[in-house]
Amino acid sequence: MGEDDMPMDDKAKRMRDLLSSFYSPDPSVTNTNNPFKFATLDVINTTSFDADQYMNLLVQRSNLEGLLQKHVEMAAEIKNLDTDLQMLVYENYNKFISATDTIKRMKTNIVGMEANMEQLLDKIMTVQSRSDGVNTSLFEKREHIEKLHRTRNLLRKVQFIYDLPARLGKCIKSEAYADAVRFYIGAMPIFKAYGDSSFQDCKRASEEAMDTIIKNLQGKLFSDSESIQARAEAAVLLKQLDFPQVDSLKAKLFEKLEQSLDGLQLTHEEIANVTVESSNLSEQGNNTESIPGSAHGALVSEFAEAVRAYQVIFPDSEKQLIKLSQDLITKHFEITSDYIKKWIPIANFLGVLRIIWKDVLLIDKVLHEALLPDYSSKASRIAVRQYIKSTFSHLLHDISDALTNVHIKPKGEVDEHPLVVFLEAGKSSVLQGSVNVLLDFRQLLKENLGGLQLSDLIVDWVQEGFQEFFRALHDQFLLLSGKNKPAIQDENSTNSMQVEKAVPGLVLVLAQLSIFIEQTAISRITEEIAAYFSGGGGGAHENGPAFVPGEICRTFHSASEILLQHYINMRTQKITVLLRKRFTAPNWFKHKEPREVHMFVDLFLQELEAIGTEAKQILPHGVLRKHRRSESNGSSASSRSNSLRDDKMSRSNTHRARSQLLEKHLAKLFKQKVEIFTKTEYNQESVVTTVVKLCLKSLQEFVRLQTFNRSGFQQIQLDVQFLRASLKEIVEDEAAIDFLLDEVIVGASERCLDPIPLEPPILDKLIQAKLAKEKE
Amino acid sequence: MQGGSTGIGYGLKYQARCISDVKADTDHTSFITGTLSLREENEVHLLRLSAGGTELICEGLFSHPEEIWNLSSCPFDQRVFSTVFSSGESFGAAVWQIPELYGQLNSPQLERIASLDGHVGKLNCVLWWPSGRNDKLISIDQENIFLWSLDCSRQAAQVEVQSKESAGMLHYLSGGAWDPHDVNAVAATCESSVQFWDLRAMKKTNSIERGHVRNVDYDTRKKHILVTAEDESGIHIWDLRMPKVPIKELRGHSHWAWAVACNPEYDGLILSGGTDSTVNLWYASTTTSDELTSESVFKSPTQELDPLLNSFSDYDDSVYGLAWSSEEPWIFASLSYDGRVVVESIKAYLPKK
Repeated sequence: MGEDDMPMDDKAKRMRDLLSSFYSPDPSVTNTNNPFKFATLDVINTTSFDADQYMNLLVQRSNLEGLLQKHVEMAAEIKNLDTDLQMLVYENYNKFISATDTIKRMKTNIVGMEANMEQLLDKIMTVQSRSDGVNTSLFEKREHIEKLHRTRNLLRKVQFIYDLPARLGKCIKSEAYADAVRFYIGAMPIFKAYGDSSFQDCKRASEEAMDTIIKNLQGKLFSDSESIQARAEAAVLLKQLDFPQVDSLKAKLFEKLEQSLDGLQLTHEEIANVTVESSNLSEQGNNTESIPGSAHGALVSEFAEAVRAYQVIFPDSEKQLIKLSQDLITKHFEITSDYIKKWIPIANFLGVLRIIWKDVLLIDKVLHEALLPDYSSKASRIAVRQYIKSTFSHLLHDISDALTNVHIKPKGEVDEHPLVVFLEAGKSSVLQGSVNVLLDFRQLLKENLGGLQLSDLIVDWVQEGFQEFFRALHDQFLLLSGKNKPAIQDENSTNSMQVEKAVPGLVLVLAQLSIFIEQTAISRITEEIAAYFSGGGGGAHENGPAFVPGEICRTFHSASEILLQHYINMRTQKITVLLRKRFTAPNWFKHKEPREVHMFVDLFLQELEAIGTEAKQILPHGVLRKHRRSESNGSSASSRSNSLRDDKMSRSNTHRARSQLLEKHLAKLFKQKVEIFTKTEYNQESVVTTVVKLCLKSLQEFVRLQTFNRSGFQQIQLDVQFLRASLKEIVEDEAAIDFLLDEVIVGASERCLDPIPLEPPILDKLIQAKLAKEKE
Repeated sequence: MQGGSTGIGYGLKYQARCISDVKADTDHTSFITGTLSLREENEVHLLRLSAGGTELICEGLFSHPEEIWNLSSCPFDQRVFSTVFSSGESFGAAVWQIPELYGQLNSPQLERIASLDGHVGKLNCVLWWPSGRNDKLISIDQENIFLWSLDCSRQAAQVEVQSKESAGMLHYLSGGAWDPHDVNAVAATCESSVQFWDLRAMKKTNSIERGHVRNVDYDTRKKHILVTAEDESGIHIWDLRMPKVPIKELRGHSHWAWAVACNPEYDGLILSGGTDSTVNLWYASTTTSDELTSESVFKSPTQELDPLLNSFSDYDDSVYGLAWSSEEPWIFASLSYDGRVVVESIKAYLPKK
């Protein structure tokens, strides 16, 4: 039984394989289930089956029994295969039959369908024609409706336009300008198209309304009372309206800004004036300054507001505004520098700077892009420097004013001590002036201008300034004294010449002033500077030397010496002119007998007196002088020899012998050479003595150049004799004076053809007569 | 009398004012000087520095009756010199020749080659043609300038040109100097100015307004540079192209500066003698004077170089006469009023080159 199942299975399987191989001719699909069982016999199921080969193989391998068995098997299989084939054919046939049946049935079914389809088509055709009919019948009505609808819209618009004036009026009333502008802009195209024909009135009316709106808007724009927002809106609206004058409006507004700027500057100027005046009146500058300052502040904040508004209104105008505000600041500084030139008190200067700085900050808040703080800090730095400079030059001016007044006044009023007054004036103006200046600068130093880091710079500038100032003062002194003539001198030379001639006293004052500066003023100023202005920046030494008191002291020391020398020179020059005239004018060969002391002696003494009074006013007394004279051994020797010579001169009348004697005498004299030209001390006596010595020496030189007759010699003898007495009262250094006067006599006698001196009694008589005359 | 002096002294018998270098003597350093004595017989001394330079030898002593106010030696003939003299009221000028055989004569007389007559005013000085052989002379009196042409052989001098501006006004000319760079120019000192005359036209061309100039001297080395010595204000150096302002002032004389002399060899060396009995030696470089003056504005005075090299103060009276030796330009002779000639060497002060 089991066995049956197995072949059954095999059978079904093989059949299926066969079928499939039949339908699919691919040999690979063929059953390969028995490759082991039928090692080489499996080819039987392949397409490449060779029956003879198979037979041979089978015969070779199998024995009879096997062959028989195989035979049986094969027969069974063939039988099976036959039945299978039979079954398959039958099945196929069956299927074919059923298919034919189906086709037959289909044929009969389709025949009826065509009629149905035609029927359907007919129905559809009718529906279509029906709907077309409806469409055509409704078309006209629809068109009409659409037309009506359009007309209605148009009418609505027309209505709107007709209502526009009224609506605009309403808007104006309610100040809803934005709506009004929107309406108007909406209506614009229509007005453009039909404005000239159908809607003329309407257009006119609405334009009128618009005009008022524009006017209102403009008013709004210009009115400062409106809020910035409102004004900005107004501007925007105006722009929307494509208002042709918007640009000009902008320009106008800008102009207005500029005008307000002008106003600002003008008021600034006024303020400066006010501060100058008021602080002159009342010394407290702070109080007075605050009032106009606040007024100015208000103006500036207004300006700042305006600027901000403008900026909001016209956002593209920044550049203009920056320029404008910079202009304002520049103007400010220009005005300040004008004032600096005129010189204003420090409080005012600071006040102005503060105001400017306030302005700058205000505007900076509004207009940050202008970089005003930077700009103005630079400018104020310059201004401060300028101020320092001008302060010094002003001080210099003050001092020289104080000094130049000297040669105006003394002629008018004969004061007791005019020179002292001017010396004091000069002293105080130098010292007080520079102390004041320092005070001012201290104030300047304290003031922190908008956080500017100026203090180092100021210190430098002040030090430099002082150095410069003293240098300039030194030059000024020399200029005033007529000593230092400027290199380019056409008019100046005449001026200085005048000065030179006019006031030697001034030179003396200047000399004393130089001493004062050297000894007192410089040390005071140095202290002040050390206390408040020390520690300047390193820049001081790069730009030039800062304040070097030592150098200035040296300068003024030498200046004082030069000036004193100059004074002496001027004085002696004057006297020398006198002497020159005296000796060159007359013909000494034909001189008449002396009757009285010559006038030049009086003039000489007058000059000396003038010098004495000038010197007494200004120069200190010399104490050392006397000691020195007592120490000098030459004086005693020479005075002794003088007496000797006096004897000789009065006694001997034979000039031949006398001149030889004189020669010897001279030799003796020269052994104790009297120091005539000692250094001039800084005191009255020394100055007067120096002048006298120089003049007597000149006298001697003049005498040596002439040739005298007897009377001429006697005249000189008389004059000298008189001078001797008078000079002793004035001059300390009697020895030197005696020596010089003797020299004059000797010189005259040497240059005399017939040197017979006057008899002493006559000499005495003439001198007494002169003295008596003087007393009268 | 010598008292620690470094110089070599020589005493004249009388007072004297003028000394001159004998330029034409190319073998020796010699000076000629004349005395100024009103009442005595005056003398002309010819002095020679000994070979060792230690002594002044009197080479010749000649009598000159009148007192000598000015004396200058001929630049080309060592035996010829000129004097301006006076006797009492009268003034005169003459050119003299030293006799050839003076060594053998006891008291040789000077031969008068020519008298420069014709002056009306007081004669002041005679100038020789600045250098070389040229027979031209200038004499200056108070009013006029005369240009002479000297004829040694004929022993006569002729007036070539005479200034004519005298007619109206008095110049009070007192002295002068002949420009060594321009033989047509003469500087003449007068009361209120230094005048410059063109000898061809005999016209005043220019002037420096400066009063009481005692003495002028041209810088022999540099053109346009003039040095003046003045009564009160000392010594000034001028650039003639800018006659308004002196380019330099040398202060140091305590009384008048009487004489100045520029060194003929060394630039900027100036000698001055004054009535304060001193002779000052200056070094004033004029080359950089323009820059110096502008610089001095910025410098303090102490920083400036002192132009005074040395002050010779060993004199007993005013020094009126000064002369550089042209033979040995580091030697100068000075003459003080008491008749003492002092010859000094300035070798120690020469600028180092």
